Amino acid sequence: MMKRLLLASALVALVPALFAAQATPPAAPTPAGASPRNPPAPKGPAPKFPDGTPDLSGVWSGGGAIGDLAAGLPKGETIPILPEAKKIMDARQSKDDPEANCLPTGVPRVAPYPWRIVQTPTHTFFLFEGNIHSFRQIFMNGKHPADPDPTWYGHSIGKWEGNTLVIDTVGYNDLFWFDFRGHPHTEKLHTIERYTRTDLGTLVNEVTIDDPGAYSRPFKVTFNARLRPNDELMEYICQENNQDVHHIQGPAGTP
Amino acid sequence: MYVRPGLIACACLLATLPAVAHHSFAAEYDANKPVTLKGIVTKVEWTNPHARFYIDVKDAQGQVVHWNLELGSPNVLTRSGWTRKALSVGDQVTVEGAAARDGAKMASARVVTLGDGRRVFGGSSGGDAPPPVPAK
Repeated sequence: MMKRLLLASALVALVPALFAAQATPPAAPTPAGASPRNPPAPKGPAPKFPDGTPDLSGVWSGGGAIGDLAAGLPKGETIPILPEAKKIMDARQSKDDPEANCLPTGVPRVAPYPWRIVQTPTHTFFLFEGNIHSFRQIFMNGKHPADPDPTWYGHSIGKWEGNTLVIDTVGYNDLFWFDFRGHPHTEKLHTIERYTRTDLGTLVNEVTIDDPGAYSRPFKVTFNARLRPNDELMEYICQENNQDVHHIQGPAGTP
Repeated sequence: MYVRPGLIACACLLATLPAVAHHSFAAEYDANKPVTLKGIVTKVEWTNPHARFYIDVKDAQGQVVHWNLELGSPNVLTRSGWTRKALSVGDQVTVEGAAARDGAKMASARVVTLGDGRRVFGGSSGGDAPPPVPAK
């Protein structure tokens, strides 16, 4: 009993310390054996702007694939990869991962660094702290050009369906990988991301991946992003001292 | 019973710790090649994608070996309480980490014992999660 009480009181005492750690960086490095890096997501209802538009703004982490795209599949499903695409994936080497080479993640991959959503009436911006220190722009109620030049983040248009921001993107290049494992795609890739802020601290991203060049049918993966209250993006210039790529060995794999 | 709050924190948070690298940890470092290095800091690079520091370590034959040690990114380190002044040239430090796969004198620094004796996380990729704690 005493043991349980002590444990409970230690936990209660710890909670304010965790939240304080987000507001201002802690004064000293995290001691080995404790890590305040990942406080739990805050609770509360999802906010809205005065005009009723859902407010997705804030600093988030996660919300996409990192190690393995398949982590976002419903239980029991597999990725319907075509044989040719599987061959490409199996031949990929970790050293060639664009992410390791300080190139963009593309969609729906995320880097393990925070990112910020900024909403304006005409554009929604995703600002990425890391890898790379770049941004996506989503044209609200816009139209895709007839023949967009292939790019890392493609051409994105956004609209609201109830409380869900639906982002339709085409015009991707075929250079980025979906994850550390090296799931590939072609320039035929078309993604539909559906972002729903289900509560104050959670943003659910359900992505439909449609790429007849690499996958036999469209499929959905879902990832949750977590709010980082009081955090701010910091500068991250990956190219300044990237020594890793010369020492990376072996086939593409998990983190 | 003595309860270590730090270990309780780690038990609560272990499940949500992300990887913090822009590259596959396992492709660069070998978790099965653990190293413990005691040496003198010769250079500190507070740079991206990883902060690095270099130490001179005397081997068993008394020869000085120069090691290149990888930390997390400056942002990861700052958010977990580091500053660029936590390590200074001339500090005597001990590093626990994983050596590079390719045999280079490089390691991912999981835990660093700083010049003042504090034992802190290196914020590095893959190997920096707190050690698992038994449920009870």
